[in-house]
Amino acid sequence: MMEITEGSFAVAEAVRLCRPQVVSAYPITPQTHIVEALADFVANGTLDAEYITVENELSALSACVGASAAGSRTYSATTSQGLMLMAEVVFNAAGMRLPIVMSIANRAMGAPLSIWNDMQDSISLRDAGWLHFYAEDNQEATDLHFLAYKVAEDPSIQLPVFVCFDGFILSHTYEPVDILSQEQADRFLPAFNPADKLDAKDPMSFGMYATPDYYLEFRYEMDEAQKRAKDAIAKYGKEFGTLFGRDYSAFIETYRLDDAETAIVAMGSMCGTVKDAIDEMRAAGKKVGLLRIRVFRPFPIEEVAKALAHVKRVAVLDKNVSLGSRGGATAIEVRDAMYGSAIPVKGYILGLGGRDIRKKDIREIVSLSEKGIGDQFFGLKKELI
Amino acid sequence: MCRTLCPEGCISEDAGGFFDPDFAYCKGCGICATECPKEAITMKKEEK
Amino acid sequence: MAEQKKTCDLFDCGHRACGGCGASLVARLVTEAAGPESIFVSSTGCMEVFSTPYPETAWKVPWIHSLFENAAAVASGIEASLKKQGRKEKIVIMAGDGATFDIGMISISGAFERGHDFTYVCYDNEAYMNTGIQRSGATPYDASTTTSPAGSHSFGNKRPKKDMPGILAAHGAPYVATASIAYPADLKQKVEKAINTPGPCYVQIHAPCCTGWGFEGEQTIAIAKLAIETGLWVNFEMVDGKVTKAKKVVRKPVEEYLKTQKRFRHLFKPTRQDAEIATIQAIADRNAEKYGIDIKLPPKKE
Repeated sequence: MMEITEGSFAVAEAVRLCRPQVVSAYPITPQTHIVEALADFVANGTLDAEYITVENELSALSACVGASAAGSRTYSATTSQGLMLMAEVVFNAAGMRLPIVMSIANRAMGAPLSIWNDMQDSISLRDAGWLHFYAEDNQEATDLHFLAYKVAEDPSIQLPVFVCFDGFILSHTYEPVDILSQEQADRFLPAFNPADKLDAKDPMSFGMYATPDYYLEFRYEMDEAQKRAKDAIAKYGKEFGTLFGRDYSAFIETYRLDDAETAIVAMGSMCGTVKDAIDEMRAAGKKVGLLRIRVFRPFPIEEVAKALAHVKRVAVLDKNVSLGSRGGATAIEVRDAMYGSAIPVKGYILGLGGRDIRKKDIREIVSLSEKGIGDQFFGLKKELI
Repeated sequence: MCRTLCPEGCISEDAGGFFDPDFAYCKGCGICATECPKEAITMKKEEK
Repeated sequence: MAEQKKTCDLFDCGHRACGGCGASLVARLVTEAAGPESIFVSSTGCMEVFSTPYPETAWKVPWIHSLFENAAAVASGIEASLKKQGRKEKIVIMAGDGATFDIGMISISGAFERGHDFTYVCYDNEAYMNTGIQRSGATPYDASTTTSPAGSHSFGNKRPKKDMPGILAAHGAPYVATASIAYPADLKQKVEKAINTPGPCYVQIHAPCCTGWGFEGEQTIAIAKLAIETGLWVNFEMVDGKVTKAKKVVRKPVEEYLKTQKRFRHLFKPTRQDAEIATIQAIADRNAEKYGIDIKLPPKKE
């Protein structure tokens, strides 16, 4: 059903339709509207779940670990400071192969303290073993939750998923969103039925310690599951498309890239601005295109390399920075995907802490890229340095 | 009492009502000997 | 002919605990009291480590390692899940004193405040034993640990034991109890009561550690008894925040307990520390008064 609704509410509605049995919630800007909406659903009987108002984020994800291990589909949401507070459990949940889905309303990391958007939070945990989906708009933010549960719960995958969308920019913005009906959601997402769970009928031990003789293979298995996740995303993304008309089988999206000379690579909501800027530059005769990455983990190495193989230069936009290295995570990983190619790849760090990204910023970056200038922060206010 | 207090749980009661440790699991801590009110157990050091 | 009795043993032998380990006895007795229809949550610590070296496990009940500070939070999630699934297994948390008194305070407070239905068992060996005997909030006054060592400028741990039972009673826990491996029947009874009382219940069990406290493994039970007989450990029950029962003793001077353990040796050698021993005696006296444990002997007949 098509609705004009706030991103947070659309996400909450999608989660409701996924029928989680246990929701654990700790409030943090800009995720609060999601957990509030879910509380409302429970209080009014439209979501049949146990809702745990935990005392901090570490407990929020810990409660999800317990619920998932006991056999329930479970959910939480967080961002920034909260995500880092639960970081230990983030690694633990992935290592224990629990199919938890968590929304991340992306927000900058302190210090300095910031409630505004960038992608530093989820990106900084990209090594933990969770799948990462990055939404461009509220429609994707909504749909990706259904896909997340289905992929996560596939017995050959069993990895938790971050569904990421830009805080405030998406979470607090009203957009038209087509939200599935309960009947549609149930058709796509069956009940959670794990093979292994905490059960007196078949006692098992979860989360034991592993000596050096055993540890390596556990981590290898997780990496193999990440690889298999590409197939699962393709399969279920296609199924979603067949059922509901929106296909999510691709890990990347290309916009006017086929004959582009300059490729912009970016993730998330800034891609909307980038597409508009590209249209303007194209009208002026510049051959620019966009490669948008929607699935960051597993990273679509081959797909990125193939899509960029024909361009003259690559400009990667990052709303995050790996301090002390060369650029943001997307630039570093795109460069890695392009290893062996002579095509120059330059990164631009912008939009940190919620600084606005405008079409003219994109035009300027493309000009810099054409001059071979890059691998730097973009948009610095000289008077503040 | 020895069966209850053994930290390993390796002492079991046999058909005759006597309590036997399973030496595969006994660590030789000696709690059973110390606590037996009848002093029915003695610890012997293992010789090579 | 007597029938061959089967041992319960939901906590199997072959675990890696030190010989004479008090905590392993706690695991055996608590799993016996809980029975097979239970789910156990363990925080990181001695018990978790000696019982589950992959691929072996001593636990014949469903068991999950939560990490260090969050056993109560993981248990909260399990409880919610079981509720939704209509399942009846009892949830038992097994955490050491480090995990309970210190790093786990936040998650325990939250879980008890929310009133989840589980039993929290703290096996109290009075230090972070798994990592090599470091001081915790449960370490008694003047005990020598590696992070509160006795030396020329120190008598060891400077602070008395934190009152965890009192703290959790203040959270509204319907049933709080302390127990000791010295009295295993009493221990099991209290654990059973906690399990069968709806809501978050707490049982703190004294588990002397031969390795960490410095005594021979065979003395574990005897030392646990002495702790109670000197008043440095009190076995009591609290129902809805009020002490209902405490084990009464004919009290022995604290010296008899302190003398048995290397962690208090500095109070006697090279010089006897009368002032310190008196301070510890005062702690025992305060316990005795607070919980009413002194048996009043009738006056001697002339």
